[in-house]
Formats: sequence, structure tokens, C-alpha cells
Amino acid sequence: MSRLGPSRWLVAVPMTLLALATIYPLLFTANVAMKTRREYVLDRFSLASTLRWDNLSTAWNSDGMGRYFLNSVIVVACAVALLLLIGSMAGFALAQVRFRGSSTLTLVCLAALFIPFQVIMVPLARIMADGGLIDTYPGLVLAYVAQFLPFTVFLLTSYYRAVPTELVDAARIDGNTLYGVYRRIMLPMGAPALLSVGILDALFCWNDVLISLLMMPSADHRTLMVGITSLRGQYSADIPTFAAGVLIAGLPVLVTYLFLQRQIADGVTAGATKG
Amino acid sequence: MSPIGSSGRVAQAGRPDGALAGEAAVDGRGPASKSPRVRNGRRAERLAPYVLVAPAVLIIVVLRLWPLGLGVNFSFTGDGERNGATVGFDNYAELIDDPLFRTALRNVGWLVLLLPVAVAIPGLLATFIYLRVPGHQIFRSVYFFPAVLSPVIIGAIFNLLLAFDGPLNAVLGGSGLGPVDWLGDPDVAMFTVVGVHIWATSGMALVVFLAGFSTLDPALLDAARVDGASLARMIWHVIIPGLSRTIQFVVVTTMIGMLTSMFGLLYVMTSGGPEGSTYLPEYYIWVQQGQMSSPALASAASTVLFLVMLVVGLLQVGLLRRAGRED
Repeated sequence: MSRLGPSRWLVAVPMTLLALATIYPLLFTANVAMKTRREYVLDRFSLASTLRWDNLSTAWNSDGMGRYFLNSVIVVACAVALLLLIGSMAGFALAQVRFRGSSTLTLVCLAALFIPFQVIMVPLARIMADGGLIDTYPGLVLAYVAQFLPFTVFLLTSYYRAVPTELVDAARIDGNTLYGVYRRIMLPMGAPALLSVGILDALFCWNDVLISLLMMPSADHRTLMVGITSLRGQYSADIPTFAAGVLIAGLPVLVTYLFLQRQIADGVTAGATKG
Repeated sequence: MSPIGSSGRVAQAGRPDGALAGEAAVDGRGPASKSPRVRNGRRAERLAPYVLVAPAVLIIVVLRLWPLGLGVNFSFTGDGERNGATVGFDNYAELIDDPLFRTALRNVGWLVLLLPVAVAIPGLLATFIYLRVPGHQIFRSVYFFPAVLSPVIIGAIFNLLLAFDGPLNAVLGGSGLGPVDWLGDPDVAMFTVVGVHIWATSGMALVVFLAGFSTLDPALLDAARVDGASLARMIWHVIIPGLSRTIQFVVVTTMIGMLTSMFGLLYVMTSGGPEGSTYLPEYYIWVQQGQMSSPALASAASTVLFLVMLVVGLLQVGLLRRAGRED
């Protein structure tokens, strides 16, 4: 039942128009990706005459695209795995164990939430260069972990705060060490939160350009989002192929969204309601 | 919250006979206590929380907090020939003299002025979705989607749509309105990019607003409707006060987002142009550090950005707090 009363249809119309305006740019791009160059130049709006996959395969097989895609997959997978491991260890300890200095350490992690990447970008690049980590996979992975760890620790700490401590107490009496409690109980129990945070971290890393540009200067090591920008130069006269490249880069995100929309929203809102 | 670090309490809670056997039981080795192994085990247990926290704290301190201090320090040294030498506030003076940086700061001013729009749009949409406009679930899914897309993809899509000979101008031309050079006119380009940013990110704020609505007492709204309150009065007198914490959160995060996550759009859509009109501090920092090889100057810009964010953030929190109290 609508709580809006009779005015609800009055509201529904502009909202529908807005929804169409939100989807249209995406549909437009998908449609362009199906067109031939000739079709695109003659008429941008008409529907592609047939579903044509040539552009997608051209874009996929063009210089480096496959490579960029693989680079992104490797880096994102490693970064998310590390973020979840390190984040859940810290989140569990900070939320459930009282030890000397724990509140100070919590504060340290929270304070880092308010330091944007742009502010520390220059010295960070220097530190990474001193460590020989520029233009290496571990370097980019580490940069992503450092960037998204405060957020990850924050969300996992607030999740573990809500877990009753009796559970941990019982496990300890059954003879588990603290590590055992973490591995056998807290890690499996944290699954829903780890899923939410993990998807968000994966999206952040997958979508990033700035950190990747800074850490991976050489063409071979480009991640997909940086690769897309270079594809634009390559196909400036062939918009349908470029659109196909954009489509390929967006597809994993679209699929993730279709299946895990609720978890993504949970992750986004957890910060707001618990903060 | 019961801590599990204090062993005695744990044992007592779990076992009535805990006082004696308790400590050993917590170590997990049974009552055969006092052997060196057990003592080692207990020491390991005391250290365990530190071991668990160490990787996170180490990474955060070395790669986020330390660079902050390093960068501030760095901003007082020279670039190029004067590399490493202390130059006092020279970099800051150079920033003020640089028209590009002044443009960047002026654009920050525009962002602050546009902030209410960027908050009100998702707020209003969330209100209608919460009030169950027909199709509300579909609206929620559709509006939220752009928020998960990369700025690179969004920028690329809008480059196609907003090109001077692109579809939007074709529509405008067809309806008699002249074509607008969305990305090529220095007076327009910044607003185009901000508009796209709002289009792309308001889904995030929308979802946060909806989470805030779920904490609102529906009885208040029902009472307001029984009293015959109009929608506008309901928003003003029930929803805004009820959601003050959420609104505060959205205002601050939206502002931070505008100041620190438009790089991708700028990089793809305008590269700071035309005529440097779409520079923001974050883009300026990147250009100075990379293309211009002036890391110290870039550090000074970083420090200014951090201060701007701090001031804007604190002002907003202060203003919103006061507004909240008056209600």
C-alpha cells in the first residue's frame, strides 16, 4: 500500500522519467556497441539492425585488453583476500578482546578513514618507490589494501561488536586459543559481513583509476580501467568498438550488481547506521 | 561487553569450580598447570590480540598516517634544483600565484554551493520510495546502479552522449534549442562534470537515506497524515528532524566524495580543460606530481586540500548540530 495517497501517480511519472534517464545512457552504449561504424555515423539513436558481437571481439582482442582484464582480476582478487583476512583479524580482536591499548589502536584505524588518498599520494609514491614496489603487482595490491583497510576494519569491528561474547567465552573454555576462536568461530560467523565488505572492496578496487595510474606506469601492467582510457585514443574514430570495450569493462560490475545488490547496499549503509 | 582477555572472569562464567582450574582452562591445556609450556602458552595468549591487530595497524600507520606527516613536511621543501632544501612557505606562495590552483579552489567553492542539490535529490527520491510510490522497488534498483560503476565507464559513456555532435545536442537542436558545448565551453564544463558526478553517485546517498528511514517511526507519519498535513509539511516537520543524523552523514560523505572522488571523471571527460576550467585540487595534485615532476608543490596542494576538507567538514557538522538543536 502506498503511503502517498492519491498524489502517488503524480509522483510516479517524474520518477519513471528519471529512471529512464538513468538507464538510457547505459542502453545507448550497449546499442552503439552492437552497431557498425556506418550505422553509428548515419544514425546514433536507431536500434542496431542485428545483435552483432564483432565489436566486442574486436575490442577484446585489441592491444592489451585481455591483459588489462587479467591484471585487474589478479590484483583485485589478491587485494580483497588480504583485506578480508587482515580486516577480520583486527576487527575481531578490537571488538571482542579487551587488551591494553585496544582503544588507542581502534582510534588509529578510525582516524585513517578521514585521510583521502589524494592527500597522501605524493609521499606514498615515494615510500613505494623506496621499497621497489612501483610498477609491481604486490605494490598495487598493497596500495589498495592500505587504501581500503580502514573502512574494512571499521565495518568488521562494528559487525563483531554485535556478536555475543558468551560464544567466545564458551569456545575458550572448550580449550581453544584466541587464534582458534578466530579461525573456527569468528571467521565462519563473519561470513555475511565478509561478503558485504568483500564485494564493496572488490568494486572499489576494480573501479579505481587514480591509484592504479600512480602505481603502475608501464603499459603492460595497466588495470582494466586505465586500459579503457587508452582504448579511447586507439579507437577515437571507431566509436562502436570503443563502446564495446566500455561494455566489457562494465559487465562484471553489472552481473555482480544483479546478484548481490542487497549485500552491496548493506555494506554501504552499515557505515551510516553504525557510525 | 564482556572482554575475553581477563581469564579469571571467563572461567568463572563458564564453570562453577573455575577459581582454581580457571586460568589453565583458558589456556586450553587442562588443569596440569605451572609447566613451562603452559607459561609460554599463557604468554602467547596475552600476545595473541596484538598479533591479530598488528598487520592492520602496521599497514595503516606506515602507509596512511606516516605519509600524512611526511607530506606536510615535504611541502616545506623545494622541487627540482632546490630538491630537499627547506624553502619555508614558498610552495604555498607559488600555489596562490598559480591560476590553475586558484581555479581549483574556486571550483571547490562551486561544489560547496551545489552540495544542497546533491543531497536534496537523493533525499527526495528516497522519501518517495519510502512512501511506496508505485514501483518503488524498481526505482531503488535503477537509481542505485550507477553508484557501483567506475567513473571511467561513466565518463566514457557521457563523453559519447555529450559530445558536441553527440546525441544530446542532436535532441536539443531538433527541439530548437541551440547545441551546448557541454565539455568544450569553459563556463559550462565544470557544471557538466559535477552533474554527471551527482547522477552517478546519488544512488549511494539514496540507499543511505533509505536505511535512515527504516529507523523512523511510521506512527509519526501516519499521525501527520491523519491531521491532513501536506507532503511538504510532512517532509519539513517529521522527516527532516527524524533523519537529522542520516542527513548529517550524507552531507559530510557527499562533500568528501565531491572533493576526492571526481578524479576519474575529470581524467576521462575533460583532463582539466577546457582552458584549465575543470581543475579540482585532486587533479592539480596529480598533474603536479606526475606530469610536472613537482612533488613538493603537489604536497603543498595536498596539505591545502586536507585543511579545506577539515574546515568544511567541521563547519558542516557544527551547522547541522546547531540546526538540530533548534528544532
